[in-house]
Amino acid sequence: MLLVGLPLLGLIFRTPWARIGEVLTSDTVLTALRLSLLVATSAAAISFVLGFPLAWMLVRSTFPGKTFVRALVVLPLVMPPVVAGVGLSAAFGRRGIVGSWLYDWFGIQLTFTTGAAVLAATFVSFPLAVLALEAGLRGLDERLEDAASTLGASRWYVMRRVTLPLMAPQIAAALVLSWARALGEFGATITFAGNLQGRTQTLPLAVFERLQTDQDAAFAISMLLIAIAFAVIIGLRGRFLR
Amino acid sequence: MRKLLILLASMSLLLPACGSDGDGGSTDATNATDGGSDHAELTVSGASSLTDAFGDIGTAFEGENPGVTVTFNFGPSDGLATQINDGAPVDVFASASPTWMDSVQDDGPGVSDRSDFAKNRLTIIVPKDNPAGIEDIGDVAEDGVKLVIATEGVPAGDYAREIFENAGISKAALANVVSNAEDVRAVVTSVASGEADAGVVYVTDVTADVTDQVTQIEIPDDINVIATYPIAVVNDAQETDLAKRFVDYVLGPGQQTLADYGFLPA
Repeated sequence: MLLVGLPLLGLIFRTPWARIGEVLTSDTVLTALRLSLLVATSAAAISFVLGFPLAWMLVRSTFPGKTFVRALVVLPLVMPPVVAGVGLSAAFGRRGIVGSWLYDWFGIQLTFTTGAAVLAATFVSFPLAVLALEAGLRGLDERLEDAASTLGASRWYVMRRVTLPLMAPQIAAALVLSWARALGEFGATITFAGNLQGRTQTLPLAVFERLQTDQDAAFAISMLLIAIAFAVIIGLRGRFLR
Repeated sequence: MRKLLILLASMSLLLPACGSDGDGGSTDATNATDGGSDHAELTVSGASSLTDAFGDIGTAFEGENPGVTVTFNFGPSDGLATQINDGAPVDVFASASPTWMDSVQDDGPGVSDRSDFAKNRLTIIVPKDNPAGIEDIGDVAEDGVKLVIATEGVPAGDYAREIFENAGISKAALANVVSNAEDVRAVVTSVASGEADAGVVYVTDVTADVTDQVTQIEIPDDINVIATYPIAVVNDAQETDLAKRFVDYVLGPGQQTLADYGFLPA
């Protein structure tokens, strides 16, 4: 309790409550907030769209190397984010294995773009989405889907009217968890996407930068991020963890 | 349901973790001095541009003082000053700008035995293949150049901005900045890896490790900035005597090492 509570208490004490409104509505913070919301929402959406078919395959089908794929999916969860950033640069940077190709053929350089920030956030939040969706699919009573099929429903209809609605809680969990993780992403972002206001400077990067120059602002933004984290946990508990 | 709880638990582990992995690789100073005079650990916080030179000086100092371990904490001077002012147990502080030494002196625990020990110039570096075709300082302000400099507050970042100002290209150059790096070494990394077209760093940052990957474009003297590096013993140092000896060493035999790395005498 103390381990979690004391840093929180420290932050609360150091937060410039008198100035918090002024700080949080400053240009830097609003820009970072907008960017963070954009990046986290995109990352959560991509994680869901790519994660759903993958979770489906992991639960419903057998294929060689399945154990390996599962391990690979979870890897970003336990990998240091900085390493993730280095890896992303090696893959998608201007001289990366895919990046050099993108650059030579299309003149596209991902590094230092908002796209890179989204990619970094997706990389780290993807496992959470897959795990939550997998849990949902596993807990699903397949007989309900079979029943719908025998009644003449097409596969798409079954998916839309039976599978997805039954999984609604886990889908919501997948989105919320990956969104929250994406929102807090720091290491991979600063390594791969860099730090530029309005383009790649998300809230955690803004905290890091402000800490050197304007500590009040750093603490105020930290409180904002904690408030969002709390809202996520309370929201999840109220709906899914009764 | 249980899976979800586990997920949530793992997330709560992750959230604080991602907040802390950016504190500039701070080294925990463990004061392992057990009263015996044989073992002493000296903690030195140094500007990241000093990484190589101080690494060598530290090894030499340890060689001359058996039983002494020098632990370095390299990072942006502003970040190091903030850590010290927040109570980090640091014995010696070496800053890349007087500003941050002043901050520790006036707003932090205070310092003693302060003196300037080196000077440094700045330079432009570009990747070996020079994708943006940069030939002089004016070219970094050309349209579409991907420029990386250290962030504001970091001495190397402030000096870079000052140089752009001196060259009269402030607005265009700053519009080309694609990333404000956390410290000067991160600028070197961005350019050496070929991600950035150009960066502004200290002359001494073009070390043997990166000479194969980057080319220097000199900044004319009338535009360039000379950085002054102060060093001092931090007032609440655990190892005051040893700290003073280290400062003397930097001002004495260490000068040759600094010169070897391209620093100018103070």
